[in-house]
Amino acid sequence: MKIPSPGPEEITVTDGSPASYESAVERLEEIIDRLDSGQAGLRETLDLCKEGKGLVDYCAGELDAVGEGLKELRLDDLAAKLDSSAGAGG
Amino acid sequence: MDQPQISFGTPARPGPDLPGPFAVGRYANKLQGWMRERPRVLLIGEVTGVRRSKAQAYFELRDGEGAVPCAMWLNDLERAGLPDGALRDGVEVVIAGGLDYYPGGGAASPGFNFRATHVRLAGEGDLMARLEALRTQLRAEGLFELQKQLARPVLPKTIGVVTAEGGAARRDLLAGLGRRGWGGTLVWAFAPVQDRHAAPKIARALQDLAARPEIEAIVVTRGGGSLADLWAFCDETLCRTVAMLRVPVISAVGHERDSTLIDDVAAICCSTPTHAAEAAVPLDCGAARAEVRRMAGALRRGADGAIAARARHLGALARGPARALQRQRTILNQKTREIRAASERGIAERSASQRRIAGLVLERARRRALGQVERATEEGRRSGATLDTAAERAVSQRREALRNAAVALRAHDPERTLERGYALAETPDGEPLTGAAAVAAAERFSLRFADGRVDARTDEDPESGTGGDHRD
Repeated sequence: MKIPSPGPEEITVTDGSPASYESAVERLEEIIDRLDSGQAGLRETLDLCKEGKGLVDYCAGELDAVGEGLKELRLDDLAAKLDSSAGAGG
Repeated sequence: MDQPQISFGTPARPGPDLPGPFAVGRYANKLQGWMRERPRVLLIGEVTGVRRSKAQAYFELRDGEGAVPCAMWLNDLERAGLPDGALRDGVEVVIAGGLDYYPGGGAASPGFNFRATHVRLAGEGDLMARLEALRTQLRAEGLFELQKQLARPVLPKTIGVVTAEGGAARRDLLAGLGRRGWGGTLVWAFAPVQDRHAAPKIARALQDLAARPEIEAIVVTRGGGSLADLWAFCDETLCRTVAMLRVPVISAVGHERDSTLIDDVAAICCSTPTHAAEAAVPLDCGAARAEVRRMAGALRRGADGAIAARARHLGALARGPARALQRQRTILNQKTREIRAASERGIAERSASQRRIAGLVLERARRRALGQVERATEEGRRSGATLDTAAERAVSQRREALRNAAVALRAHDPERTLERGYALAETPDGEPLTGAAAVAAAERFSLRFADGRVDARTDEDPESGTGGDHRD
């Protein structure tokens, strides 16, 4: 069995939350391609998996946010609600 | 338009720089004549403020940039052959006519208007010509690109919608969002979508929605119709408003063949409300959930595989020293067996050699011993006679010594003393008493003679002291 050594195209593990759902998915695809290539070293693999798990959680959270059933509001009602809350606060 | 050049002859009084003063009535009549001499033209616009008198119909013809007051004789209107009530507020018409001026009178107010002699409802061609002119203008100003440069989220959580309340577009939009698996928040901003009041209200609704920070995209939609029906969505002010919004606008006005100006300035133009739903939520949420699960699985497999591969590799490495030791042990055992075999062969050979040597040595020793025996036998024979003589002499000498010893022993025998009349004092147990103190201490004793024993005891005599020669 041959254990790969990190290839020259090693990708850098990034910190912080993704800017958007699509950037998170794009980064996840990049991570999975890197893992599937078998070129990532153990430390890189562990770091990428940790980052990937965070991205999966983020994406799942974004999908959950639009998965709880359609809510419908009227702009007039929304404005009235904001006005009443502002009045109560003032 | 050329400035009117009206001549009233030589002024009665010189003024600062201007001609006149003229009599206003004459001026008004001259003005009327001058206006009526202006070229006749066609105007297109939306009819507003229709009212009628006994002889004329009055209305304004306007668009986003301006308006002209119009008047039309009723008999001209009847000749136009419009359906009853066709000349009403909100319709787009084309009128033919020219400038006119009513000079008024002593009690009547003067008035300017565009005297329409012909009128017809605006046709597709008329509207298309206006639309193309506006389109060219807005494109030249770069307003078509502003919305298209905005970033559109693939998964908006809140979407604003401008449409007519109760319209079919609303139902179609909801159905499209449902097929996307999207369950976020919709904020409805209902507005009229047809007539001259529609465009300002649509623009206001768009601005109000865009002012909400949580709204990430706005859909403007209505069902199909003629270009005249959809004309509100070609309004220049509305389209300029859309172009300047910070939120991407998705237009779905009319059917696929309809093309309004808002389609050009919007970020995305869709043919139906259903398509607008897909454009507002580019992500198929159901497929995305499956994809996220797939990626989560791929990550787990990637991590597990990498760790398992390394664990196997590490295990193989860990077994390496043991295998090396086993290999060395096998070699060592082989060498040991070889050494043992070689040793046994050597021992056997040495044993055979030693046996040969021992045989030779033994043979020599045997021969030497035989020689010695033979010599000893000879020597024995020779010394045998001497030994016999010496033995006899020695026996004789020992017999004589023994006799002498027997005589001496007998001379010291106590029995010989008793035979000569002496007695021996003994304890009842037969132990000899060798002194007076021993006899006095024993109290009872016996005296043994050569011919028998007599019991005796001591008699205490305080005056004579212990011991003494007393007899019973």
